[in-house]
Amino acid sequence: MTFEKRLARLEAIAAELEGDDVELARALALFEEGIENLRAASEELSKAEARVQRLVERADGTFDTVDARE
Amino acid sequence: MPEPPPAPEPAFFDASIYPGETAQTAVTVSILTQTARDVIEGAFIPLWVRGEVSDFKSHRNGHWYFCLRDRTSQIRCVVWNRDQRGIAAPPDDGMQIAALGRLTVYPTRGEMQFAITRMEAEGDGLRRKALEITRARLEADGLLDPRRKRALPRHPRVIAVVTSPDGAALHDIIAVVRRRGATVRLVSVPAAVQGDTARMELCNALDRVNRWGRADLVIIGRGGGAREDLSAFNDERVARAVAACRVPIISAVGHEIDITICDLVADHRAPTPSAAAEIATRSRDELRGELKELAMRMGGATRAAVRARVSALRHVNRDLAAASEAQLTRRQSALQRVAGRLHALSALATLARGYSIARDADGATLSALSAFSDGMPFDLIVRDGVVPAQVRPSPERPA
Repeated sequence: MTFEKRLARLEAIAAELEGDDVELARALALFEEGIENLRAASEELSKAEARVQRLVERADGTFDTVDARE
Repeated sequence: MPEPPPAPEPAFFDASIYPGETAQTAVTVSILTQTARDVIEGAFIPLWVRGEVSDFKSHRNGHWYFCLRDRTSQIRCVVWNRDQRGIAAPPDDGMQIAALGRLTVYPTRGEMQFAITRMEAEGDGLRRKALEITRARLEADGLLDPRRKRALPRHPRVIAVVTSPDGAALHDIIAVVRRRGATVRLVSVPAAVQGDTARMELCNALDRVNRWGRADLVIIGRGGGAREDLSAFNDERVARAVAACRVPIISAVGHEIDITICDLVADHRAPTPSAAAEIATRSRDELRGELKELAMRMGGATRAAVRARVSALRHVNRDLAAASEAQLTRRQSALQRVAGRLHALSALATLARGYSIARDADGATLSALSAFSDGMPFDLIVRDGVVPAQVRPSPERPA
């Protein structure tokens, strides 16, 4: 799962947990899933890096991205 | 031996007679005007002339005609269709301009004419007019409507950067993204940002971004430049290409003072490419903060949910206890009733054995002599009914 998807999932989990009538079993399952996502997201965050590429159009009109030298 | 004298050059014309000297050698009007044109064109190099514009007309053949004048003189001017590309906008009557042109003669009318190829108006008037024209056209098409502006994605994965591949803009954007530790893919889409090809290259680059279709966000811009270097970002076609961008787009033309047409059309304007990179990306610290907040929200909500269940359980417990107590009381009173009845039944059993019970009018049992008085009526309850009775007066009894 991408970092963005994890964040979105975490948002959804927090929102559902904050809802009015979440069952206890469901709440605990959500919490567990949330913790797992938090752990993974933090780990990703610490090793993530920006990538710089260049868009190249091939003769047939398809595209390629190649790592750019800076 | 002396050299022989050189042979005389053959004469092409008789220098003692020139055309037009006499009525017999009169030249045609065409010869006169064409000669005048040759003389004038040969005498003047292209030069800048300043004056006030009057009688401006854009002819249907596409050429512009007007007069340039000062207090005492005027000269007819023309801007040929093909020379208009280098001029921001047609001048208005009354505008003070400086124009670069060539002086010539228009033989058909026998008039001097100044053929202009470049033009600058006082106070940057032409550029401002050109901007107004472009702006009005975009406005008429609804492209400047604030409601068109899209929100930027909070977590873009792929940002296309439309700018010069060697310019300061790309360099600055990369530097900011690196410094912030943002997790993003920057994809450079090269285009010249100044010069004759800039408009076309910018339009093509935006078109490529659309056809590629993988970017979540686009930054278009350039580093700081002189005002005239920004002209591509004021071009109507470039502005329309920006408006046609399929994903949100930030315009970042690094010029503090001027707002370009691209800035107006884009979803967001950043004063510099660096600022665009800041707006576009979340820094690692920001994201850490966001995760922390999410963790707190989840923790709090889960604790609240558990607490709510525990207190609900307590309530149920209490209700159960209360309910069983009420039940017990109900049972007990039922038991008592039954017991009472059993008691009564036992009295009836006594009656069945031949005993009777005396009761007064209130139902109280008369069980001792003292309860009776002379003549008092009472009920005598026997096994199968009630016998109304009365105490007979007795001399033995004390009155």
